[in-house]
Amino acid sequence: MALLFISNDEVEKIINGLQEKQAKSSFKNSKSSTKNSGALVRTKDLHSKSQGPIEPPSGMQLVRKQNYEPPKPEWHAPWKLSKVLAGHMGWVRSLAVEPGNKWFASGSVDRTIKIWDLASGTLKLTLTGHISPVRGLEVSSRHPYLFSCGEDKMVKCWDLEQNKVVRHYHGHLSGIYTLSLHPILDVLVTAGRDATARVWDIRTKQAIHVLTGHKATIAAVKCQEADPQVITGSMDSTVRLWDLAAGKTMATLTHHKKSVRALALHPTQFGFLSASADNIKQFRFPKGDFVQNFPNHNSIINAASVNSDNVAFSGADNGSMRFWDWTTGHCFQELDSQNMPGSLDSESGIFASTFDKTGLRLITGEADKSIKIYKEDENATPETHPINWKPTLKSRNY
Amino acid sequence: MSALSQILPEPKYSSKKDSPPIQSSKIETTALVSIDTNKRNIPSYGNRKNWIPTTLEDFGDGGAYPEILVGQYPIRMGLKKTKKGQVLSKQVDSQGNVKYDSIARFGHSEDRIVQSQFKELIPLRERIDVKDGNIIHLRPQQEDIIETAQKTREALEKKINGKLAASKPRSRQTEVESGATFIKYTPSSSATGLTAQTSQRVIRMSEMPVDPMEPPKFRHKRVPNAPPSPPAPVMHSPPRPVTVEEQKEWVIPPCISNWKNAKGYTIPLDKRLAADGRGLQEVKINDNFAKLSEALLAAERHAREEVRQRSLLQQNLAHKEKESKEEHLRQLAQRAREQRAGVNVHEVNNGSNLDTAHAISNNIDYSSSDTENKSKKDSRSDNDDNEKERTRREIREDKKRELKRELRMSNMGAEAKAKYISRMENRDISEKIALGLAKPSNPTGDSMFDTRLLHRNEAAAANLNDDESYNVYDKPLLQGSNANANYRPRAMDTDDIDPDIAESVSKSLTNDRFGFGFNPESSSKYDSKENRKSKNNAVRQEPIEFEKGDVFGVDKFLNEAKMGLKRTRNTEERSPKRHRD
Repeated sequence: MALLFISNDEVEKIINGLQEKQAKSSFKNSKSSTKNSGALVRTKDLHSKSQGPIEPPSGMQLVRKQNYEPPKPEWHAPWKLSKVLAGHMGWVRSLAVEPGNKWFASGSVDRTIKIWDLASGTLKLTLTGHISPVRGLEVSSRHPYLFSCGEDKMVKCWDLEQNKVVRHYHGHLSGIYTLSLHPILDVLVTAGRDATARVWDIRTKQAIHVLTGHKATIAAVKCQEADPQVITGSMDSTVRLWDLAAGKTMATLTHHKKSVRALALHPTQFGFLSASADNIKQFRFPKGDFVQNFPNHNSIINAASVNSDNVAFSGADNGSMRFWDWTTGHCFQELDSQNMPGSLDSESGIFASTFDKTGLRLITGEADKSIKIYKEDENATPETHPINWKPTLKSRNY
Repeated sequence: MSALSQILPEPKYSSKKDSPPIQSSKIETTALVSIDTNKRNIPSYGNRKNWIPTTLEDFGDGGAYPEILVGQYPIRMGLKKTKKGQVLSKQVDSQGNVKYDSIARFGHSEDRIVQSQFKELIPLRERIDVKDGNIIHLRPQQEDIIETAQKTREALEKKINGKLAASKPRSRQTEVESGATFIKYTPSSSATGLTAQTSQRVIRMSEMPVDPMEPPKFRHKRVPNAPPSPPAPVMHSPPRPVTVEEQKEWVIPPCISNWKNAKGYTIPLDKRLAADGRGLQEVKINDNFAKLSEALLAAERHAREEVRQRSLLQQNLAHKEKESKEEHLRQLAQRAREQRAGVNVHEVNNGSNLDTAHAISNNIDYSSSDTENKSKKDSRSDNDDNEKERTRREIREDKKRELKRELRMSNMGAEAKAKYISRMENRDISEKIALGLAKPSNPTGDSMFDTRLLHRNEAAAANLNDDESYNVYDKPLLQGSNANANYRPRAMDTDDIDPDIAESVSKSLTNDRFGFGFNPESSSKYDSKENRKSKNNAVRQEPIEFEKGDVFGVDKFLNEAKMGLKRTRNTEERSPKRHRD
């Protein structure tokens, strides 16, 4: 490919030079002569091709558009920090917003689940019961239940009318790192360090399926109402789409090079993001076609979220945050999380993130034991904050 | 068909022809499989020489022919399953390209999505076969969602029910499915061994009863994991080789304890210091500290200045006050001195020193003449005059003495005079006494001395005696309130007692015979008071009464001794001392 970019004149010069050389040199060394002639043949070949307009090889024709113009990204208001909630005694590793958007829950390494008022940011309740860090939280939209899972291999179902644990789902062999509720069925999916995702019937506490196939810790699980109904991202750097009815893998996406630690489904569009240390990649359902990369967030991404305004968020282990345009993959804002006073620099890290139900607030759980709430800058306009977008026609390697 | 059969010659070997007519009626009566389909005529038992079962049909419903020594696999029982071929046939797509992805698909079901082509690495928008527009579609419609949900729910419910049933005890399972069914069975007319008896039957189908206590028939073996599904094609470029720098970045030096170093690593001093973490903490001092100390300094300076000014002012005031007071005192002293010295007080009031001196001299003259007059005027003398005369005389004598002293003083030598003056300095408190300012040195009035030291015999009585002497009763046994807890007869309260006797009793009581240390004068008062006070302590209201009794049996003994009787043990009685409150 690189050779194609040399202009025709240059190529001709080179070829001429080579021919002269060849004419001068007697056939002393058979090896060198064959080498030279080989080169000649190749260049000649190229030469003959480059006489007309450059055409990609026939196989490539399927692949690359000739006159591809990247689309212009949509303008989004920049986000800014609006509130910092302190109260946890450890890293905040999981967040979940209630369907009514009145409150949200946070699970922490201090083994507690705290429930906060979303509007005022006041602490409403602390739930204790886990004996290890709480890694996953979800509030059901059809029951008065809160589900939590932790590194203590326990999945708990909290009744929010009594604030008590009413069910346990027993079966995981190791720490559970993530959990997701099915939006329609009474089904709960948990996954963790034992490289399996388990599908639980909420009512009977039976493990319906054990989704095996991953070779390493599963770091993220998402459920959705349409096929594929379960998506898992794992530390073996693959993403799997699962057929929930059969309990089998529908597709394995091996596009990532590093472990996939976060997944984010778009609330209205039929696609998702998978975040890894090498790239954030966008896929579309139902087949899991690769759509595009969200490049250059070069750190371990722990959290990703998308809201219905096509704003995607990624938060990393070193506290760096990026805000992306969902459709084009343009990064419109880079932020670094501000540490709480008194915490070390090394304690800036984002472990969990979620947009609230309106998509107007972003909640992040951080390594400095705080929960931060971000919102859009109301005063920003496209004039005050123009899009810094520089499309390139540079050819990319895939 | 019939035409064709007519044309064709007769078959040479026909199984039908060979087979003898059906004779045996011993065919099992409960054969459920209809023999309708069995077109082949199988020779009956005993006639099977030179006959080999070749097709599946020959085995009918699954019985073998043990007398025929040929490998038999009725209904494929016992046949080894042949593995599917590992060789894939080359497939070509509609454009003539070889479908290499069939390799990746191998082993997967049809609906499995396998991404295997290079184009699947290209972002969708840049692909030629993808139209522009919305690359990612909206989420599926409600109907589709409901449909998929329904399907999934059914599948999951099936699975859950199976699991729940498995978790139930077996007896419960059999109870549920104990219903029997009846089947009316009519064998086909062409079936072998058909008799009138076996023409039509009713069969009852029911579950075999299972012994709930029966041990499991099969040993549960741990099923080894199924082989993993074939790997998916890797859709990313191979990882780049690690550069030396990157490798160096990941080198973590060995941890060396500060206390043990078995391998004898040497640690550079700077590294040791760095590891110490001392350099990591940078000391940050808030600006407010500086501000605070500055403010404190300023405030202190200000306060000091203020205090100084105030003290200066106070000093001035005090000085003034002192001066005025001194002036006042001087005037008062002057007045007092004049009052004492002079006769005419009123004269003194407005007189100066000179005037007073003059008045004094006048007085002297007058008094001297007065003494002469006094002798003359005796008749007129009354009390008042006498008094006046007396005072005057006194004053006169005083003056005389004063004058004498002054004379003496004037005659004194310079040395003696100085001595005298120095002695008299600060000794003259007459002014102060006159003003009532002089105070005794001991303001409380108590003497500074231990009075016991002043009187020898008292000292001896007090505790000052030496330690060697053994004085057991140096203090009374009962003192203060303890002493009053004892019963004392109260004669005052009793009416019937003769007053004389009562008086004598009270007197004797008040007499501190044993030196208990209470004041005899205050005893009556004390009595009543203490009684009131000691009611709490359950003061004895009457004397302790003792019953008369022969405690030690002395009297009795004596009596007996007198009577000359022998003492018996049985009669011996002891009356214990009874103590009544």
